[in-house]
Amino acid sequence: MKTGIKIALSVAMLTSLSFGGEQFAMSAADRAMYAEMSENNPADIMVADGEELLGYMGGDEGLAKYLGVSEDDLPAYIAGFPRYIKKFDMVVGLDQVIQAMMADGGHPPLKLKSGNMFSLLAYVKSIANGEKINIDVNANPQMKEAYALGERTFMTRRGGRGLACNSCHSSDIVGSVLRTQKLPDLGSQGAKSAATWPAYRMTKSSLRTMQRRFQGCMKNALLKVLPIGSKQMVALEVYLTAKSKGSEISIPGLKR
Amino acid sequence: MSNARKSLIKIKPKRYKDGEIVKVSFMVMHPMATGMGKDKKTKKIIPAKYINSVKFVYNGKEITHMTVWESLSVNPVFTTYMKINGKGKLTVTYTDNTGEMNEKTKKIKPRG
Amino acid sequence: MQRRDFFKKLGTVTAIAAVMPAMSFAASAPKPTGPNKMDFKTAVNAITGGKTPQKSSKVKLKAPEIAENGAVVPVTVTVKSPMTDADYVKAIHILNGKNSNARCIDVFLTPANGKAMFSTRIKLGGTQDVTALVELSDGTFLTASQSVKVTIGGCG
Repeated sequence: MKTGIKIALSVAMLTSLSFGGEQFAMSAADRAMYAEMSENNPADIMVADGEELLGYMGGDEGLAKYLGVSEDDLPAYIAGFPRYIKKFDMVVGLDQVIQAMMADGGHPPLKLKSGNMFSLLAYVKSIANGEKINIDVNANPQMKEAYALGERTFMTRRGGRGLACNSCHSSDIVGSVLRTQKLPDLGSQGAKSAATWPAYRMTKSSLRTMQRRFQGCMKNALLKVLPIGSKQMVALEVYLTAKSKGSEISIPGLKR
Repeated sequence: MSNARKSLIKIKPKRYKDGEIVKVSFMVMHPMATGMGKDKKTKKIIPAKYINSVKFVYNGKEITHMTVWESLSVNPVFTTYMKINGKGKLTVTYTDNTGEMNEKTKKIKPRG
Repeated sequence: MQRRDFFKKLGTVTAIAAVMPAMSFAASAPKPTGPNKMDFKTAVNAITGGKTPQKSSKVKLKAPEIAENGAVVPVTVTVKSPMTDADYVKAIHILNGKNSNARCIDVFLTPANGKAMFSTRIKLGGTQDVTALVELSDGTFLTASQSVKVTIGGCG
């Protein structure tokens, strides 16, 4: 598609945004009701399931040992993912660590895009509940590279409509209403998104991870869907997790 | 009677005394298909499959029972109150319209 | 019994089944198979047996004014009641206004519940009223309603 048409289309879409979402703003009472729902999050069942699955692989203790940290240090260590892990020579997410642990233990590893893996990832991340996200994107050259790649991926316009993640999720667009939903602030400091994914998505009635959510968003924006665990997806997760640095982890989340 | 479906019984507060009235929630993974939805790929109607009854039995006594219809959300939750009346167990039994029967049990251990 | 009478009896049963297929309105342990089609007025009459429920502030219905999505709408019904053998809430029924089936759930409580409250999440096909219909142990029916606006949108 010609660049000119691409830009025209994206401009047309952006001008269809309405500003000022008061009509769709949730009242404080409504917001309290949805917060109360988190008390009984259906995803709690998946997290319990993940705990059971991890149990077959040695549980929290086994995971801590595999990562080379003490069980006491495990929650804070988990709160720093994605990380560059020397023994893999890669920047990886927790799900990839679980895969490696399974493989090293002599079990065929679960696919990254599988219900069981999502449950495992949710449980493992929930071990860090209460911890503040402490990802260090300057820890080593590999993390720096991943952050840069993530930012580039976030900003790159591609696909049939010439859209980038930034087209809808940049700080100057944030607050606008697109299809009755207020666009969430993902691209600027102070965002809490990484602290609340994996989450139960009500409209999908299922547990979704951050990368899985990216895939859904890409599909809707007519961008080629990137595979979970790919260099770019992990980089995107690094970039957005960095934007949530300091936020308190609370898994599972509850989202529309 | 199977225990195959994933479910959770939660009691709030986690520590309770005899005589205390606690909040009890039962959550279960279930498609709650209304029988009116279509499969996006095959375009065929997805047959109705939803939980149609739930029973709370505490130490052998039925304290609550429910008739459930297809308008309840997928992966439903059922929350009510319960008066703690001795050590024992709470068993939640549920059936769905296709005849599936399941149960989940939680130990009741009051302190003091 | 005469063969003729036997078939007459069978015929009657079949006729009723045709009018109300796979549904039972009895308050005692019905187990719906479905899908079920029932409008609000019919549902209320089936529950109260024709009695008119009274609007009462004793029934507190909590549901969002604006529901973020129609798939998971939280609903909580609380009723002021001593929950003793002499005076308790026998049942809390939750109904909707416009779904194909107006009935959501019928919860039968006992004094062993301690307090009269029920909370769940329902599906709403669009903006409509949600109603709590409460039966007390003395046979009276109380009710409370609220409109829930269902927003349909978002980016998938």
